[in-house]
Amino acid sequence: MEHKVLVGIDCSPNAERAVDYVGTLLRVHDQVRITLHHVLTAPSADILPDGHKRRRALEERRERALRQLEAMAQRLVERGIPRDRIRLQVQECEKGEGIARLLLEEQRRGGYQTVVVGRRGMSKREEFLFGSVSSKIVREARNCTVWVVQ
Amino acid sequence: MTEQQIRERIREFTRLPAPAVLRIHTDTTQFMDIRAGDCILVEDRIFYVRGEEFEGRFGLDGEPKFWVKRVVDLADGSRKIVKLAFFESFHMRLGEERIRCFRSPHKESRILEKTAGDVRFMQGRTFYDTAGNPVRVLERISGKPFYDIVLHLDMDHETYYYEVFPAIFSNLMKAFYAVRDLHREGEIHGDIRNDHLLVESGTGRYRWIDFDYTFDWPGQPYGVDLFGLGNILLFAAGMGFHTLHDLQRPDSPHRHVVPDLRDEDFSLFFPHRLMNLKKIFPHIRESLNKVLMHFATGAEVFYESAQEMVEDLEICFRSFLWEVPHGA
Repeated sequence: MEHKVLVGIDCSPNAERAVDYVGTLLRVHDQVRITLHHVLTAPSADILPDGHKRRRALEERRERALRQLEAMAQRLVERGIPRDRIRLQVQECEKGEGIARLLLEEQRRGGYQTVVVGRRGMSKREEFLFGSVSSKIVREARNCTVWVVQ
Repeated sequence: MTEQQIRERIREFTRLPAPAVLRIHTDTTQFMDIRAGDCILVEDRIFYVRGEEFEGRFGLDGEPKFWVKRVVDLADGSRKIVKLAFFESFHMRLGEERIRCFRSPHKESRILEKTAGDVRFMQGRTFYDTAGNPVRVLERISGKPFYDIVLHLDMDHETYYYEVFPAIFSNLMKAFYAVRDLHREGEIHGDIRNDHLLVESGTGRYRWIDFDYTFDWPGQPYGVDLFGLGNILLFAAGMGFHTLHDLQRPDSPHRHVVPDLRDEDFSLFFPHRLMNLKKIFPHIRESLNKVLMHFATGAEVFYESAQEMVEDLEICFRSFLWEVPHGA
């Protein structure tokens, strides 16, 4: 039976750890389909009012995210996951949308059985100010398994 | 308006003659060059500059804010504040945390527009100069910072808590609802402090000022505002802040409590500032103390929006209305 896994990827070492864990654990599973999903945050118009500069910054972020996703897919391949079972996705985060919420929406839309995120190891103060994606996913995920990779 | 008419208006509204050379700025980009005695002309409105505002924090005179001018509106002689476009990025301290902050005139303009007519916020309108800079023209609010209202009370805490705090709490709830409403609009205040909440003379209304700070965090955009609300609530509930240093002083009436205090009783951001007020003021309602403890080192769950915080505060507020002893 096919098992769909959604891995939330950001530009941090914990994303690499999450990918390595998924690859090592699931290489024996021949029905697994893994989606590496990067939620891209657009620069705020309040911070970068020039529309042209903003679009260019967003494009640079998108290219960086794609390069990173390719590198992560390669890590999975090196751990024994066939490339044709790996999908890469970049989604843009609009103002007011949280990264955790978008990941959970994608989980529901795509019917993923498992969601995987890395844990950034934030301090309590950082979690208060910036919010923790992994904590929010653990709290709000329904009808799926959540793996938080430390 | 001709220059002669401008000069007449200046004399009429300031009772002083206009300068011999009258400089009229239509492009405000170089705001450092706009000085007292100059005029700013935007969208056919003329403002006569009287000087700069100062960064007055907690009663101390600070640096002049060259992008914020005190002006006279030559349409009717009213005193106003003009904020000129100034983009900067800097690190702001939130207790022991440093965060990158941006000044955004566009954000403040947008909030002014969204809150137009809402007396819980400062009021103003944005005009655009010939270079396209947003020039915010603000109504002056005559009043005192919330900080001054609480700090200068001369009474014991129990008297304050039963006789003064309920009215303050009622006003604070309205101010917190205002922030809740901003969050619902997807906006943040950005710099919630005891001195950015003014208590208006005459009406006694609590009004938020200064909305031009912003941050680049899509994950949890409301964290900084919640930090500010927590500080204001603590300040109001405690009739000021209470640090470990204050409590340890030989003349402190709470000195006997110090051995029972734990790290988790103190603020997450200010490790020497007591959050668990119930340990020094047993008469404080548990429901109020519980809200404060969401900002303490010992908290396991944090508020994510002002809505969550006001929902908890409503429980406490109702207990004041019903005069439930020791709270619900």
